[in-house]
Amino acid sequence: MEKSNEQNKEMTAQESLDLISEMLNNNRRCILQNSAKHFILWGALLLVFSIVIYELLHVTRDLRWNLLWFAMPVLGFPLARLLGKKGTVVPQNVISGQLHYIWLAYCAFAVVISIVAMFEMPSCITLLLVALLGFAECSSGLLLKNWPIIIGGFILGVGGAVVALLVRSEAQLLVFAAGGLILAATGLIVKRQYQ
Amino acid sequence: MTMFPKLDPILHSELRLAVMSILIGVDEADFTYLKKQTGATSGNLSVQIDKLMAAGYITVEKGFKGKMPHTTCKITTTGQEAFNKYVESLKEYLSASK
Repeated sequence: MEKSNEQNKEMTAQESLDLISEMLNNNRRCILQNSAKHFILWGALLLVFSIVIYELLHVTRDLRWNLLWFAMPVLGFPLARLLGKKGTVVPQNVISGQLHYIWLAYCAFAVVISIVAMFEMPSCITLLLVALLGFAECSSGLLLKNWPIIIGGFILGVGGAVVALLVRSEAQLLVFAAGGLILAATGLIVKRQYQ
Repeated sequence: MTMFPKLDPILHSELRLAVMSILIGVDEADFTYLKKQTGATSGNLSVQIDKLMAAGYITVEKGFKGKMPHTTCKITTTGQEAFNKYVESLKEYLSASK
């Protein structure tokens, strides 16, 4: 809608429907752009944490460095909150609410699985977490009706799970690094798509 | 260009319709967001928001975010019904004119 002094003018039926459609599309674009920022943030965090923990494990051979994973949500949630406050506040709707719950559920699963793994390290933990991560991203894409997110989530979940079966020990952390890269790249693609 | 006077006069105005179209798709939206999306001036937007509020189509909550004034608008059930009725009328009008 263009700035004009005629914003209170009467319109034809077609103009009215076009305006409604334009506003609804703008809302959708804003919500997608906002989601993209969060994909980039969490993707970047996952990438950095994976590489740092991988290096620390590789150098020290001390498995306790895995505890650093718990610092990721501690750092990530305040940063996400800060990101949400930056610039114009994007309103929430049913879809953004559902997205919020999908990722909250993933976070809860990841934290609980990681706590269980501290006591009994299962060989399939990377496979499980990366498949769940891909599932969360793919579900987000389906909700947002956005193909790059759907495809990114599928590659991340299925591809990551297959690679997790093929690699051993700390090299599995690089699967998470690749996952972080895919997540951030998806965010960048969506951001560019709706700029 | 065909005009049609029987439509809801509150909604049949470009800026008010734009505001309602935004609010129909979200839980609530603040003044800054509405201003950015519609490209309207603050004064004009305030006047149109007041008209929508007076018609009972939206609720307006005024408060502060830190030290800055913060206005939030939310569509009411009456507003949703009026909007849906308006869209239906538009569709009928368009199909009749084809």
